[in-house]
Amino acid sequence: MAGDVGVQDYPIVWKKNVAPDHVELILQAPMLARAVPGQFVHVRTPGTLRRPISFSRIDPESGQVGLLFQVVGEGTAWLSQRSENSLLNIIGPLGRGFPPPKAERPWCLVGGGVGIPPLYAALYAWRHRVTAPISVILGARTADYVIMRQDFAKLVNQPIEVTTDDGSLGSKGTVLGPLARWRSRHPEGQVFACGPTPMLAGVANLLQGMGSVYLALEQRMGCGVGACLACVVLGEGENGPEWRRVCHDGPVFSAEELIWR
Amino acid sequence: MAVNLETSVGALSLTNPVMAASGTFGFGPEYGPLVNLGRLGGVAVKGVSPIPWPGNPPPRVWETDAGLLNSIGLQNPGVEVFCRDDLPFLRQAGTRVIVNVIGRTIEEYCQVVSRLESESGIDALELNISCPNVKEGGMTFGQDEEHAAAVTRAVRSCTTRPLWVKLSPNVADPAGIAVAVEAEGADAISAINTVVGMAIDLKHRRPALGGITGGLSGPAIKPIALRIVYQVAQAVHIPIIGMGGIRSADDVAEFLMAGASAVMVGTATFAEPGIMETIIDALPTCLSRLDATSPAELVGAALPGRGSIEEDRRPGDSS
Repeated sequence: MAGDVGVQDYPIVWKKNVAPDHVELILQAPMLARAVPGQFVHVRTPGTLRRPISFSRIDPESGQVGLLFQVVGEGTAWLSQRSENSLLNIIGPLGRGFPPPKAERPWCLVGGGVGIPPLYAALYAWRHRVTAPISVILGARTADYVIMRQDFAKLVNQPIEVTTDDGSLGSKGTVLGPLARWRSRHPEGQVFACGPTPMLAGVANLLQGMGSVYLALEQRMGCGVGACLACVVLGEGENGPEWRRVCHDGPVFSAEELIWR
Repeated sequence: MAVNLETSVGALSLTNPVMAASGTFGFGPEYGPLVNLGRLGGVAVKGVSPIPWPGNPPPRVWETDAGLLNSIGLQNPGVEVFCRDDLPFLRQAGTRVIVNVIGRTIEEYCQVVSRLESESGIDALELNISCPNVKEGGMTFGQDEEHAAAVTRAVRSCTTRPLWVKLSPNVADPAGIAVAVEAEGADAISAINTVVGMAIDLKHRRPALGGITGGLSGPAIKPIALRIVYQVAQAVHIPIIGMGGIRSADDVAEFLMAGASAVMVGTATFAEPGIMETIIDALPTCLSRLDATSPAELVGAALPGRGSIEEDRRPGDSS
């Protein structure tokens, strides 16, 4: 069950540089460790807005959660400079996470770049629930950015499929190649994906009509709680296209709910 | 010295002078899990139009130095959905409810206001006159005295509720607009709306906002807001609700001294949802320090001829 949303300070217990400009913080945060994979937190940084970051790890037993982010601006640079034992002010858990996967259906987790972490949280939470084969496809610019690969490898039996733009690890190309092959083997499967918007558009397009395809989206966010209507994406409404709030209606959407143009 | 935070905006009493600003607090329920609405002086909901407005394409927000640009485009579900889905929550929230009203024609403003007449639990209406006037080529109603007066006059004839008019800062003489709407029966002035600005997305070589330009809010615009409140306060006799970059009790006191009777907090809520309650908690100490026992005692204290406290300023003292 999702925990109640709150505003609270949580200590950083562990910090690791996982790739160039990619940092993972582990927080001691029992209230957040009740979150659903795909949900996110809004982290206070010195600027005008908070920074939305989804969970890379959720461990209800230890009460710890992970936040893995890319340093892209002043806010995330500040976050990356926090030391262990310092406190982060956090609103969360927020948004709608992934639905629990169906036990008997082949399950494919597709992650691109900094979109990989929430899929690890999903795999960790539901790896015992899914009895059908579980596949993982990870894509990134270069080998350096295929993050959390070893973490995934510990939890699945099959080899992880990796693609890179430059071919420095795995096959050269995008995640769509391996995903198309997976689909042809498992037409009744279920897919969770997270990554840059063009990748998600490709996944939605490739898997049209498949059902059980869930995408975790990113959009520039304001309040994080559904009040300001900043982080919208176009969805299918009863009377035609309508905006959905990534922070409140998402960040996880069924691929069929969204309109890709 | 006991401090009493009770405040009045004309005939409307508030438990304290701190309200949530329109556009930053949704339609009421969104911040419910994080904010005790019953502690706020009031809540101004997002602008409500006669029919749903879709708003602008994303990106809709962009952080700037000490500020925030937005081009939400007044997305809202329309007055019917607002009355059905959000008003019931607001009625029992234990705070003053201010409905911000938007329209593309004078008739649309009146449609919203007339529809709200049959609904209980609304304490004031706030006219957003920064909307484009479609019959006049898209220039905003708040751009000149004539059109601001016309929309105020029309709405005034539709309602007896307290009518606040929210001024745009993007005009040469905001005080002139304030005088014009006061003459047409406005009960209070809200000042200010956001300041038009823009930012460039370097990576994509394009304007950062989907709407190209947007409204700047946050601490960056506080000096502009204070200047306009100060000017308007000298031009009208009706109360002013001040807003623009407020983050602390001292900020509230500045707006009071510039001539505001109450204030609204907006952008600061995004970073700190509890900031309005923090400010309300800090106000008694702040007012005591300023030798006041109520917000009203400070209203207009910095206006010309109000007997400011002179200090001995020595040569070289730049404070």
